[in-house]
Amino acid sequence: MALLTGCEPSSLVIDKLCDEAIERDTAVTCFYFDYAARKEQSPTNMLGSLLRQLASRFEQIPDVIAQEFRNQKKLIGGRGPQISGILNMFQTVATTMRTFICIDALDECAPEHRVVVLDSLAQILRGSPNIRIFMTGRPHVRCEIEGRLGGAAIFIPVGPTEGDVLRYLRERLRKDTMPGVMNSTLEAAIMKVIPEASSETYAEERTMRKLLESTF
Amino acid sequence: MSHIIANNNHSFNQFTIINDAFDDESKIYEWLSPLDPRVRHHDIRSQRMDSVGAWLLETGEFKSWYASGGGDESNYAALLCGGSPGVGKSYIT
Repeated sequence: MALLTGCEPSSLVIDKLCDEAIERDTAVTCFYFDYAARKEQSPTNMLGSLLRQLASRFEQIPDVIAQEFRNQKKLIGGRGPQISGILNMFQTVATTMRTFICIDALDECAPEHRVVVLDSLAQILRGSPNIRIFMTGRPHVRCEIEGRLGGAAIFIPVGPTEGDVLRYLRERLRKDTMPGVMNSTLEAAIMKVIPEASSETYAEERTMRKLLESTF
Repeated sequence: MSHIIANNNHSFNQFTIINDAFDDESKIYEWLSPLDPRVRHHDIRSQRMDSVGAWLLETGEFKSWYASGGGDESNYAALLCGGSPGVGKSYIT
């Protein structure tokens, strides 16, 4: 019997995956890269964090992890987990249930760390058909991902839809802390001008991206 | 009386054993990684509006990626959502 520890509601995709985790034996792990935290977000700490979340999905820490912990602690002064060991443990534990890895802002991971992280994810995928990886990042990481993960990756361009922008604006206007300075004319202008500007910006970006893709 | 003491002793020992198990677990978790992304989770979740970005879940690419696995031979084990800064990528994670 698995627990739902580590699967509190989060953002959109994680919410969706956690809904399934309630029904079936599924583990959802995640990691948010942050430019300001590059030093502590080393590949070892990042991959270890994913394994930590996977382990917390079980009532008891899986034996393969507890045994590796005991082995490393026997060494002089005790030793932290090694990447090869983390990957072996992750693959072993993930064979028992469908596992999702969600990674946000891959572009904020230091480039030299990103190489190690992507190679590690590729290794995890090769040995574990139960694992699915969801990532977000700026467009330039796409080439790196395709290079490191081969044909395993699919790409979706992301931008706000007009409906998203309108819903967001309505919510912000509803929570306006200075309603006294708002009137119907200003509100109508906000609801017209901002979605148009947003749409144009995104359309320009999509056009630029297509041009770049057709050029290279 | 001795029975009560014996019971108390028994309870005390059980309590000690359970505490040791918890200590070991927390040591192992800390050994695996000091990073716990759940705090960041909650920050983002609290700022995201319901239904914004829901279009993503309806795309063929997402459905294909989500439904695959469990031993089939899907080529798409990984899905990347890419976009410029500020378009809301973190909210759809």
